[in-house]
Amino acid sequence: MSKRLWLCAALLMCLLSGAQAEENTFTITDDAGAVITYYVGLPEAGDEYISRQNKHYVVQSVDEKTLTAVAQLQGDYPMPSVEWLRDGNLTQPVSGGGQAVAIYCTHSDESYEPNDGTHSETPRGSIYDVAEALKENFEKLGVTVYYDDETHHPHDSGAYKRSRATAETLLKNNVDAIFDIHRDGIEDPGEYETSINGEEASMVRLLVGRSNQNSAENKAFAVEIKAVADELYPELIRDIYIGKGSYNQDLSPNAVLLEFGTHTIDKQLPTRSTQYMAEAIQKTLYGGVSGAAQSVTHEKTNAQERDKSAFSSIGWILGAVVVGVIIFALVATGSGKAAMQKMKDDAREMTGGLMGKKKKK
Amino acid sequence: MTLGSILLSGTAILVLLGVGQRVLDRMHLTDRAALVIIAAMFVGGLLPDIDFGLVRINVGGAVIPLGVCLYLLLRAENDERVRAVMGAVVTGGIVYLLGRIMPDEPEKIFIDPVYLCGIVGGLSGFVFGHSRRGAFISGVAGVLLADVINAIVVWSSGISQTLRLGGAGIFDTAVISGLSAVLLCELIGEVMERAARMRGVKAESRRVHDPRKEEDHE
Repeated sequence: MSKRLWLCAALLMCLLSGAQAEENTFTITDDAGAVITYYVGLPEAGDEYISRQNKHYVVQSVDEKTLTAVAQLQGDYPMPSVEWLRDGNLTQPVSGGGQAVAIYCTHSDESYEPNDGTHSETPRGSIYDVAEALKENFEKLGVTVYYDDETHHPHDSGAYKRSRATAETLLKNNVDAIFDIHRDGIEDPGEYETSINGEEASMVRLLVGRSNQNSAENKAFAVEIKAVADELYPELIRDIYIGKGSYNQDLSPNAVLLEFGTHTIDKQLPTRSTQYMAEAIQKTLYGGVSGAAQSVTHEKTNAQERDKSAFSSIGWILGAVVVGVIIFALVATGSGKAAMQKMKDDAREMTGGLMGKKKKK
Repeated sequence: MTLGSILLSGTAILVLLGVGQRVLDRMHLTDRAALVIIAAMFVGGLLPDIDFGLVRINVGGAVIPLGVCLYLLLRAENDERVRAVMGAVVTGGIVYLLGRIMPDEPEKIFIDPVYLCGIVGGLSGFVFGHSRRGAFISGVAGVLLADVINAIVVWSSGISQTLRLGGAGIFDTAVISGLSAVLLCELIGEVMERAARMRGVKAESRRVHDPRKEEDHE
């Protein structure tokens, strides 16, 4: 048993060796060294970034000592057309008349220093005030909001595990989209401060996790929100970061994490932005008029894009299953021939003889 | 929802159901019983939680998985039963401690915390007797126990936060952890057994071809 214990301890240590405990702000630059953005967390090679001007970058390398990352410009990100917002060609109902979204906050302690005196407040940070404002603004537009103000303390690696139950419970209400409300941790409030319609407001960062089967769908949804918001309020969306992690977005294809400002910004600014964000999301999901309408062309084009993303994800899932099954069969039997026979037997057993039938001699 | 989204969700659910059925099938349950349990977890997850005020328990994510654990414990022999309970307690403690020690953002962790719980459960199941049943019990009960420990700590600091056990139904960390724990335990076990068999074959061949070497090694 002690041999097993050491083996398992070694495996656990290997897994945890990649973990980084401190909360750091990374500076992400392009090949030429120009700063593209800041990111609180740990960027990883392969992370994607869509800037405010819709420039598409992919992170190439990360230096954890200097807290820097280099991203390569891929070109302009192909944004979906929002012509329908301008021409008023709004005809087809999308979701049977019912408009419903869900809101919750995974990090219950997140607050805004200028107003609360701290960036982390228990039992309830003022991030809940921003979530409440977003809810009210959705409701003004006729959208039903399922808002769960349950807390998920403490703010540790188990927070997403606890908020998973909240998210899944909210999804039982057959909502069209679900939003996890956060605020960023970038020190400089100027990174988020903006002006919309002549009033001071806060920008919003959209965060998408790329470690789940819905990643492509969630990314497409975030890009749609940005395209609509850029048309309505060009100063609203800061950017989209597609990073490692799941953020419980595996539970729905229309799940996005929203960062309303940062901890050093005045809370009034992100609170003000909630009205613009609610409108942008409402138009993205249901079109522009009360009663759930949307351009036929827009619906068709975006549906095709979404289908493409979804089928790609299905391909990845099935591929992962096939690879997993082959590895298990090979490990269990030790030879290719025996592994093939085992897979056939298992397929026959699981499908009641439909697959993997024995050939009659 | 587009057709692609519906098919994607359907595929994810089918894969989870398929994996779940195969895992339960390996624990002295009949094909039909495994299928019924997995279907019950799925349907139970859709039902409203059982509400005890500050504690809410989901049927599919906690009641049925714990019921399976209890059944497996009752079917096990005394020694295996003790080892399984020890595995669950150790897993609960480690999962809780990992939650406190590890970074708070998922992107900073090598693997998503949801799957890390399964890995801890699988390793515990392997350490405490290399048993699939032990691994499943460690994975499911360990994660739920870690949730209970966390709730007690949070309550003791004066925060009245609801403890939702298995709230995400069949997609809950407890269920995913139980299933991945069995798969991991089996994978490690198979690799170790294969390695042992290969060593045995080599030793055998040494005995046949070079008796002197065999003596040297032994």
